[in-house]
Amino acid sequence: MASIQYSLDNNGCSGPSPSASTPTLSTTSPLELHACMGLNACKGHDRFGTNSCAGAGYCATAEAHTCHTLNNCRGQGGCGLYGSGEEQTKPGANDCAWQGSCAVPIQAERYSTQGPNKGKGTWMLARKLFEERMKTANRNVSPAPYSCGPPEKWLETIMGSYDSCGNSGDKYCSFGFNDPNRNAEELCEKSKRDDTPENV
Amino acid sequence: MKQQLDLKAEVTPQNLGEAIQQAIEIEIATIPVYLYTYYSLNREPDQSAISNALSQALVKKGLPQQEADTIALDKSAEIMVYANKVGALIMSVAIEEMLHLSLSSNLKQALAGQPQLVNKSPDIWPAYLPGHIPPFPINRAAFSLDQLKTFLKIESPKPLQEEQTNVRTLPYATIGLFYDKIKQCIAHCDLQYNTEAAQLVPGRGYYAQNNIDTVYYDKQHKPKFVNADDGADLIHVVDRASAIRAIDAIVEQGEGNQGSTSLNPDGSVDCCAITPADYDDPDHEELSHFEKFAQIYCQYVDLSNKFNELGIGDIDISQYFVLRLPTNPKTADYPASVQGVSTLLNAVYSYLYVMVEGCYRQKDNTQYELFMFGVHKTMIFILNSLCGDITMLKYTGPDGREYTVAPTFENYEFRVDSSPKSQLIELYNQAIGSTNVISTRIGQRIHDLPDVPLEPYLSTSAGKLIFA
Repeated sequence: MASIQYSLDNNGCSGPSPSASTPTLSTTSPLELHACMGLNACKGHDRFGTNSCAGAGYCATAEAHTCHTLNNCRGQGGCGLYGSGEEQTKPGANDCAWQGSCAVPIQAERYSTQGPNKGKGTWMLARKLFEERMKTANRNVSPAPYSCGPPEKWLETIMGSYDSCGNSGDKYCSFGFNDPNRNAEELCEKSKRDDTPENV
Repeated sequence: MKQQLDLKAEVTPQNLGEAIQQAIEIEIATIPVYLYTYYSLNREPDQSAISNALSQALVKKGLPQQEADTIALDKSAEIMVYANKVGALIMSVAIEEMLHLSLSSNLKQALAGQPQLVNKSPDIWPAYLPGHIPPFPINRAAFSLDQLKTFLKIESPKPLQEEQTNVRTLPYATIGLFYDKIKQCIAHCDLQYNTEAAQLVPGRGYYAQNNIDTVYYDKQHKPKFVNADDGADLIHVVDRASAIRAIDAIVEQGEGNQGSTSLNPDGSVDCCAITPADYDDPDHEELSHFEKFAQIYCQYVDLSNKFNELGIGDIDISQYFVLRLPTNPKTADYPASVQGVSTLLNAVYSYLYVMVEGCYRQKDNTQYELFMFGVHKTMIFILNSLCGDITMLKYTGPDGREYTVAPTFENYEFRVDSSPKSQLIELYNQAIGSTNVISTRIGQRIHDLPDVPLEPYLSTSAGKLIFA
């Protein structure tokens, strides 16, 4: 297993300066980085590059990560399980690196644990924020491939495995007295209602 | 020198700083205890294994297979809910103790100067709450009814019925009464408040009442949140009113309100109905620490009775979800191959306090970065991960039984010849050389932490955080 070295020179905030003798030029347009399915603003800007229009992308272009404070930059955080109520109002719309609050991509079964969206679907809120942004930009938005976000089981087939953080267990689960698919549907339906946050 | 106890000893402007520091150390003393017991839990036990074992025992007793399966599924689901609920409740209390630590540190910063947090965890176990009368032993121990009794004593709203002895610090009978001494001094004395010194203040995302670890699922797998949104938050202590609000928040979260339930006079637990005074929030959605532990205790007894009524012998339900951990272990007790990761874990635990103390020397964005990218990241992604990793290891104890290796939460004394962060990296490199249980991601996460000196004068770049 590789060890790591301590270095004051390698400052994680800025990184090493590029060498003047080796200018770097990008010859391709970078993708807009977004946190999940259905949150892409442009054609071709999903992980597979095949989506035809805004909101129809299949997967995040931001780097997948497992939890709070691990997102790279603005708009690349998933949100929902850790963080303050304020942070949890901004899934896929965080202001800066490490302020993303939770994992990317955002499975359909994830809910917010704090703030006005408490107990409601995190992806549904991310999609709502995205649609508001597109409305301001006068853009039409296509339906997402899954209307409530990517189901955890689907993500597992795409990614091989899927793990979002926390010690309280899998969000898609049954103890023998519920249908986890039905629970996910109920979360989605509840998330469409504009009422007060769910509590105990 | 020991002083004769005097429960009537008052907090005065002259000893106010020492009293608040004592309060800080009381809060710190609870954190390793609650965390240790938390990590003895398996919040997601194997339901199939529990159900199959119960079903087989019930069939052996003479029940038809279908009836046995139905009962076994029901009871195994109750274990699943209970194990997760215990985890959520203990974690919710541990998180609120961290809030109390911050509130009492804010008090000290406003009234008496820099809070001292580093290496203030108890060194000797069993530990004793500083100044508590009567003293009672507190173990780092696995979840059990005995351990819950200790938790209930810590959070007791009423004095414990035991003989008094001599103690070294300012004596008190309950934590609430101790804070009341401080409150009386604040309420009646003309004190100067430092409104400029750094504190951990609300509105910056430092504290959240709930997270995914304070959630559990009911039998239908619907999430339940154990802390209320209107529960206490950080308070910026700038005057008498805010100081008193901070103290009231600590006491109400711990012990509830006036007239709240306590232990019975004989030391047994009162499992009667919850009263309004047992809640700590205006909407009565969150129980006090004492009542959370009382609920866990009483539900454990109820669930045990249900299992024993099945007629398949005496069943210790803790076997389903509690790891066998040693009591009060030290790193030195572990095999050499384990000591590296245990030492790393203790250093990470200690560095948390270095960083929090650092937050009381920094303000604005620098403080924000230190807290969010240092403290939060360390708690969730480094310390929690290491605690999960270390409990995958086993060792044979002096009694010949196999134990799970537990996080010991000992103070780690950083050297002064290099930065604590550089020492964390050294310890990580040593640990991965002796065991393969540590996730490779831990190394990068340590590498990404802010570099905080033990003391400001040891910093080579005063006022500036260095990442990576």
